[in-house]
Amino acid sequence: MKSTVLRAGLGLAIMVAAISGAVVSSCTSAQTIRVAEHRQARIDALNKSIPSIEKQLGITIEVVEYPAPEKDYMSKLLTELGAGNAPDLFTANFDSDVSDLVSAGYLAPITAEVKAWDGYAQLFDVAKKLSTRANGEIYALDSMLGVEQIYFRRDLLDKAGISTAQPTSWKDLLDRAREIKKKTGKYGLLLPAGISWGGGAFNEGFALFVPGSKTPQIANDDGTLNLNGEGVRDILGLYRSLIDEDLMPIEPLLGPEPWVIPKYTMFPAGDLIATTCGTWCYIYDWGKDSKNPVPDVIKNVGTWAVPGMAGGSSVTVSGRNIWAVNAKSAHLVLAKKVLLALSSVNATVAYAQLLGNIPARKDAADNKEFQALTELVPVLKNVENGTFLKSAPGFSVVSEGVARATEALLRKQTDAVGAQAILVKYVKDLLGDKVVK
Amino acid sequence: MALTYETRVAWQNRMLLVPALVLLACFILIPAGAAIYISFTNEALSGLAAAHPQLVGLKNYVRLFSDDGFWNSLVVTAFFVFGSSIVGQFVLGLASAMALSRPIAFRPVFNAAILLPNAVPEVVAGFIWISMLAGGKYSTVSRIVALVGIPPQNWLGSLPLLMIIVVNTWRGIAFAMILMTSGLSAVPTEVYEAARMDGATPHQIFWRITLPLLRPTIFLYMLVSTAGTIAIFGLIYTLTRGGPGGATEIIGIYIYNQSFTAYQLGYGSAVAVIMLGVSVAIGTVYVRVLKVQV
Repeated sequence: MKSTVLRAGLGLAIMVAAISGAVVSSCTSAQTIRVAEHRQARIDALNKSIPSIEKQLGITIEVVEYPAPEKDYMSKLLTELGAGNAPDLFTANFDSDVSDLVSAGYLAPITAEVKAWDGYAQLFDVAKKLSTRANGEIYALDSMLGVEQIYFRRDLLDKAGISTAQPTSWKDLLDRAREIKKKTGKYGLLLPAGISWGGGAFNEGFALFVPGSKTPQIANDDGTLNLNGEGVRDILGLYRSLIDEDLMPIEPLLGPEPWVIPKYTMFPAGDLIATTCGTWCYIYDWGKDSKNPVPDVIKNVGTWAVPGMAGGSSVTVSGRNIWAVNAKSAHLVLAKKVLLALSSVNATVAYAQLLGNIPARKDAADNKEFQALTELVPVLKNVENGTFLKSAPGFSVVSEGVARATEALLRKQTDAVGAQAILVKYVKDLLGDKVVK
Repeated sequence: MALTYETRVAWQNRMLLVPALVLLACFILIPAGAAIYISFTNEALSGLAAAHPQLVGLKNYVRLFSDDGFWNSLVVTAFFVFGSSIVGQFVLGLASAMALSRPIAFRPVFNAAILLPNAVPEVVAGFIWISMLAGGKYSTVSRIVALVGIPPQNWLGSLPLLMIIVVNTWRGIAFAMILMTSGLSAVPTEVYEAARMDGATPHQIFWRITLPLLRPTIFLYMLVSTAGTIAIFGLIYTLTRGGPGGATEIIGIYIYNQSFTAYQLGYGSAVAVIMLGVSVAIGTVYVRVLKVQV
């Protein structure tokens, strides 16, 4: 009996000591902020910035590595956000994701902190507009920008005697692709498409042609979406022409990682002459330190702004490192401070060096490390000339609908009218009839 | 009032079932119930429906029956299950079991060779086969067939369904072989001896003795294998992710794509509920057709 009481007493003492130790330890050690990141280049860029941020804020940052493909990253992140156990800080892939993350209640508002931040005045206006929702609140900060247009093999076009002048309309662009096919036998233009490409089918392909179409914006101020318009049908018609005339590669786009063969193999090899892409193509995809370099990439790969349907042209600017704070974070104040620190010049330049996106800050131009990125310097200067799509709640559904519509085109199951009907039906099924105009 | 011995034993026996029932409830019944409930909502991973899911009645089911992707995945699943589980694994598993039940040289080596694929995790097996099949002229299979003059192929692009059937057959022969071996060992040798003394040919022995006496084992295999093959995910996700163009989008991949790629948990759950019904129906058909008591 006596020994039983002794054992119980000893056990209790050990338990109390352990709990006290844990409490003391948590009080004295630095607080930990968990940051979600994916893809090795991005993780490397993040890790470059962490030591100075930890020192500056007196905290510990734990990088939580997520699956590399954008869609897998988003699926896992959304599942954890829904379950309430996601990291304190994370990035959204595209602006089209942010509106729906806000609607879901996953993001903490950061308006006051961002506007009081000394970096706010340095943000390009386009970054401020992209970051601000229709109600004037900021929930996610577009600290890096993707500047997207058409990249083409200047060396191969010169060699084949094909004009490298800016195409003036969609017809001109199509004619150029036809000429490429006729004279070189190579694919003339790739537009990301299909379900496997995920958000890229909308954000890196379809969306680039929206400003120059008869439907220059999809989102209306009243929350409705312009999907029944002629502009949407015309863009899908452009896809249809490229597919039907065998001007763009189809088979790789139906595979599991559709960007790999066209962008990493065919373009460097000269089997694909032009593709939509962002500045990351100059660094991450085909830069001198990439896995698939195009020799002397600045000289041999030129860019065209995306022509409008009947004239004019546009360069699309969109968010790339769109940092947001988990609304359920136990360290909201600290997480917001880390978000702002990750939007500093040094942090954004680290991402620019490894990925090729553009810092959303004017003062990045004065940074010596950025100045060494000669591919990106002229783009930064012209960021404000870019155009952008307004996003709205339901855009992740539109993005998936575009993927399904373009998949049907890739599989030659329908024409532009049918593809538009697939998009409209999908969006109506999920968001209701009244949302679509 | 004192309980009788029989009552106490009966209660003790019931209590012994409690741990299993709790586990079943936690990991099967409650999630299944939740999936059925979610299938009647517009629950999503993102957007307004993530914050405020609403009951939508039968809308998901109505949409499902007019969804070409769903019907395509059912057809693909049927071909995949028939090709890999019912034909490939069963026939080769039975043949292996019969061959290896005889005293042949290097029997342990053959046994190990057939068993090894089953010991490889699904995802690892997927990556092994990607290196075998993907890469056009650089793939291992293309190099092998080039020796007999066959031009290189994009195997996962040109023959995707056949390729995943082959890979799943390769991986599942061991399970079929183990079950069939146990079934064969339960057949009394006296029956074979009596048949031989009566002048039965090997062909007659197989069709009139071996197969009928293996019926309970075959039933068990078919039931387990069909249900398991319908639920396969990792192998196909690694190999093709359901592509190209939905050609290998079996139902498990389709449910994943709807739920976690398109973020529509309600709709994905509706597909899962339908598949639960289909699996139960297939199990019932097996029981009825083979007339075996469960």
